[in-house]
Amino acid sequence: MRVSYDWLSDYIDPGISAKELAERFTLSGIEVGAVERFGPELPGVVVGRVTAKKPHPGRSNLLLLDADIGDKILSIVCGAKNMETGDKVAVAKPGAVLPGSRLIEEAVLYGVSSAGMVCSARELELDLGREDEILILDQSAVVGEPVDRVLGFDDPILHLELTPNRADCLSMIGVAHEVAALTGAEVKLPPLTTPEAEPDINDVIKITVVDNDLCPRYTARVVREVIIGKSPLWMQLRLLKAGIRPISNVVDITNYVMWEFGQPLHAFDLGLLKNNEIVVRRAKENEVLVTLDGTERKLDPEALVIADGRVPVGLAGVMGGEDTEITDSTSEVLIEAANFNPTSIRLTARRYNLPSEASQRFEKGVNPEAAIWAQNRTALLLCDLAGGKVLKGIIDQGETDLQPKRILVDPKRVNKILGLSIPDSEIRLILTSLGFGVSRLDDNGPLEVAVPLRRADVSLEEDIAEEVVRLYGYDKVPASLPRGELLENRESIEERLYKEVRINLTAGGYYECINYSFINPVNLVQLRLPPDDLRMRAIPVRNPFSEEQAVMRTTLLPGILKVIQHNLSHRELNQMLFEIGSVYETGSLPMMELPDEKVMLAIAATGLIPEPNWIVPSGDSDFFTLKGALEILFSRLQIENIEFKPGAEPFSHPTRCAVISAGGEELGFLGQLHPEVAEAWDIGQNVTVCEIDLSTLVRLASPVPRVAPLPRYPAARRDLALVVSREISALQLERAIVEGGGGLVSQVKLFDLYEGRQIPEGKRSLAYSITFRLEERTLTDAEVNQAMDNIEKALFDLGAVLRG
Amino acid sequence: MIDKLKELEKEARSKIEAASDLDQLKEIKVGVLGKKGALTALLRSLGNVAPEERPIIGQKANALREELELTIERKEQSLRDALKAGQWEKERIDVTLPGRPVQIGQKHPLTMIMEEIKEIFIGLGFQVVHGPDIESEYYNFEALNIPAEHPARDMQDSFYISSGFLLRTHTSPVQIRTMEKLAPKLPVRIIAPGKVYRRDDDATHSPMFHQVEGLAIDTDISFADLKGTLLLFVREMFGHGQKIRLRPSFFPFTEPSAEVDILCIMCCGEGCRVCSYTGWLEILGAGMVHPRVLEGSGYNPREVTGFAFGMGVERIAMLKYGIGDLRLFFSNDLRFLKQFD
Repeated sequence: MRVSYDWLSDYIDPGISAKELAERFTLSGIEVGAVERFGPELPGVVVGRVTAKKPHPGRSNLLLLDADIGDKILSIVCGAKNMETGDKVAVAKPGAVLPGSRLIEEAVLYGVSSAGMVCSARELELDLGREDEILILDQSAVVGEPVDRVLGFDDPILHLELTPNRADCLSMIGVAHEVAALTGAEVKLPPLTTPEAEPDINDVIKITVVDNDLCPRYTARVVREVIIGKSPLWMQLRLLKAGIRPISNVVDITNYVMWEFGQPLHAFDLGLLKNNEIVVRRAKENEVLVTLDGTERKLDPEALVIADGRVPVGLAGVMGGEDTEITDSTSEVLIEAANFNPTSIRLTARRYNLPSEASQRFEKGVNPEAAIWAQNRTALLLCDLAGGKVLKGIIDQGETDLQPKRILVDPKRVNKILGLSIPDSEIRLILTSLGFGVSRLDDNGPLEVAVPLRRADVSLEEDIAEEVVRLYGYDKVPASLPRGELLENRESIEERLYKEVRINLTAGGYYECINYSFINPVNLVQLRLPPDDLRMRAIPVRNPFSEEQAVMRTTLLPGILKVIQHNLSHRELNQMLFEIGSVYETGSLPMMELPDEKVMLAIAATGLIPEPNWIVPSGDSDFFTLKGALEILFSRLQIENIEFKPGAEPFSHPTRCAVISAGGEELGFLGQLHPEVAEAWDIGQNVTVCEIDLSTLVRLASPVPRVAPLPRYPAARRDLALVVSREISALQLERAIVEGGGGLVSQVKLFDLYEGRQIPEGKRSLAYSITFRLEERTLTDAEVNQAMDNIEKALFDLGAVLRG
Repeated sequence: MIDKLKELEKEARSKIEAASDLDQLKEIKVGVLGKKGALTALLRSLGNVAPEERPIIGQKANALREELELTIERKEQSLRDALKAGQWEKERIDVTLPGRPVQIGQKHPLTMIMEEIKEIFIGLGFQVVHGPDIESEYYNFEALNIPAEHPARDMQDSFYISSGFLLRTHTSPVQIRTMEKLAPKLPVRIIAPGKVYRRDDDATHSPMFHQVEGLAIDTDISFADLKGTLLLFVREMFGHGQKIRLRPSFFPFTEPSAEVDILCIMCCGEGCRVCSYTGWLEILGAGMVHPRVLEGSGYNPREVTGFAFGMGVERIAMLKYGIGDLRLFFSNDLRFLKQFD
């Protein structure tokens, strides 16, 4: 809502500057986004009076004007011809600077010297819709005065950023009431009485409201003998200050009054209404209406229309029809001021994409008592500014018995909610300043507060508390802390474990990512997931921005792969990343109940680890890079019986992938990305990824380390190297060693692995360091040797051959 | 004889002085002080000296021996020192070479801010609770006093899933879920961090972002308590010189409602471009829980009161770390993430 400070002063004298007023508005709940002057500064542009209008001696399409600017008379060549001798015009003297830094200088035009320029509205940045005409100023303008001042360009415009509850401030009078509450000044309503003439309006028009659920009140007035023309410049300027383009006197007056009272109005050409009848009803099947913008619209049967005796002539509260529009030949005008159902207006405005100042006000709720004020004010202005004769009476249908809401308010409770102790007298004073009626039933009892109809947003004691405190001053509210019982408030075990996971992974060099929860459904196909894979059942977003965000993710992989691709495109070749986030699993599509939101962990590594440097050798990150990260994580969370079993995912390298489980429960997978999948993400290097179900992981975790006493007896260590078929897994060998050792083995460590030259095809060489220890005594050499023999036998059973 | 001694001393001293390594010095020591050394030989020839002079010469010779021994010892020490110094020089390292790399990663900056927020409120006795991202219209709107025809429920502004379900547009539904679970138990003090979704996408809006919701309900929670709690939060988060300013505002689920500003991070309240010369920056919305919300969730608004607030995590991170573009958070660009190392 744009509020001209000058215009506002018609209804109240704030007594403070616009800037100060803006500050007070902001601190009391009406945020002022900006205070700007209405128009540009116009140095050197002054009011001039045309003293002579002569033809240009050289060019017939030009004029030569003499303009009196007070201290002298300037002779100026001019292209437009819409001025008469005696008119006041805006004269840009030589040296004047017009908007756009346009410097005006003395010039010779077709042999005649021109001392400056007579300005059109557009040249002064005024959009009055008549581009080629010279701007004619009011006769009251004083010759020689600066034009920017005469046009009110220095008038401060306050841009109110209203919250949706404050529809009352979508009007100058509503704003004036707010100023009254802030400053104590008094609101002056504009004149509202107008002379009336016979016949009675009821003899001219019949009004029927059929669907009064959508139209609680409908009022009409008729004005005859209207002469259509321009509205006076002062009104046009005020409308421009409000952000409304002037059109003609009748339309401008309805807009002007809407700005004053917040009541949208519509003017019909009464002569064009068939059967002298207005019917307010829902549209009928297959009805159409050509709206003011020239568009033919098929009407929805739920849309409320204003119809004449036969067809719709307007979309109620949204836009009028072209057929009954005010034109230059209009002389009889029907003015409509109604109250429409906010939701109905909102839906219609949305359906036809026709948001307007009027529909916006109806959507937020219009003060029901404003209709009559607006009718009378409009009638008066049509009389004064368009020569109209107002017919007797107003048709007023629907709710006319309007009573203010009454709320019982206990000042003690208001103070308790606020944490304040404002005296009753001050509470009463604040409410009265807002125009609320306050009475007290008995001495210590509650206050009875009567809420003015314009404040539909106030209906509860809490609303009154807000009114009181916003005017008392939020800044005067003290700062205290809640008191009360202590609560058990440690974070949940899940959250603490997620934190632990983050600590572990970041300590290991991994950076955390956060990706959108929605993905492109094609990503799932690019992951080569078969149609029956559960992860293909992604929940679609009904109105996504783009295909990129069209379904809820069922896996974190697309997000993390996109990050890898993004960073690769910036030559960041070595990346270690992870994400903790939800995936969304539904039992059925379309989704009928809330889905399962499972928290997952994805880790990815690509490129060299560590970053190439001068001292530590780097190697390509691979399956074992991530496996190491997982092992330390599992160990920290004390998850036992972890198994990595060969098993391919559709998006993994067929023979470089493992399914991870703990005690038989599947946790997720770890594997090198399938080259085709990498290619789909435009990734040209090996990537290893894993995805783990964190909710299962934390269920199995026991994050409290258990400490064993330090060993009291020394350990014995033996190394052992063997050659064995590649078919035999490291896990099988390790088990053979532990089992062969018969309870003496406390640790087995693989310290070398070799395949290639000197080792037969299909075999590999592995070297282990085995630690033997008993808790209760020192082992003898003989015992260890015996255990080694048994281990060798167990390994031999697996086809292993020992090496020197 | 005395002359001989003097000569010996002179010769020995010059030899010691000239010795360039320990072996030479040892040779000199043996040559002068050894059993077959010059000084020993000289003493042996003491028989040729007059008896009354013997003790004097003997004394002098012994004194000379001690002196030379000391001199040799000193020389030896200085030769050893020189040797060591040479060794040290060979072992010199270039201390300006970069260190052996310790590769660590980092949490996402939004995680850092969320952890900090949680830490502050846990310290104040708040519990941390969570709610689902996909939410029913009831929890997201109706229960929060946003009726079906309310403009906030426009399709334009929210991502809908299917009939009755959408991606939550704020963390406020967790208020309702918590109250329903706990009512009529008191006190309630929770914060609810999480992802939220709105149909916006530009330099200052992202279709997904993070919020932290707060809620406190008890028999005498006041607007002043809300102010005090938020002031404490802001000072913990942005520094103890911080101030807050509450401005009246409107949310359907609170009454009275407030927008909360902090002193501009850039100009500390002086007024600059970042704060549009107001000296203040808006960081969160808050208010007293609307009686209809309390009532709908099982609390009697005549008996209890509560406050609620909701803050944007990205907004706080941007202010705290001086980040200009919201989209950086979700680009996961390592050039960005590594700045938090």
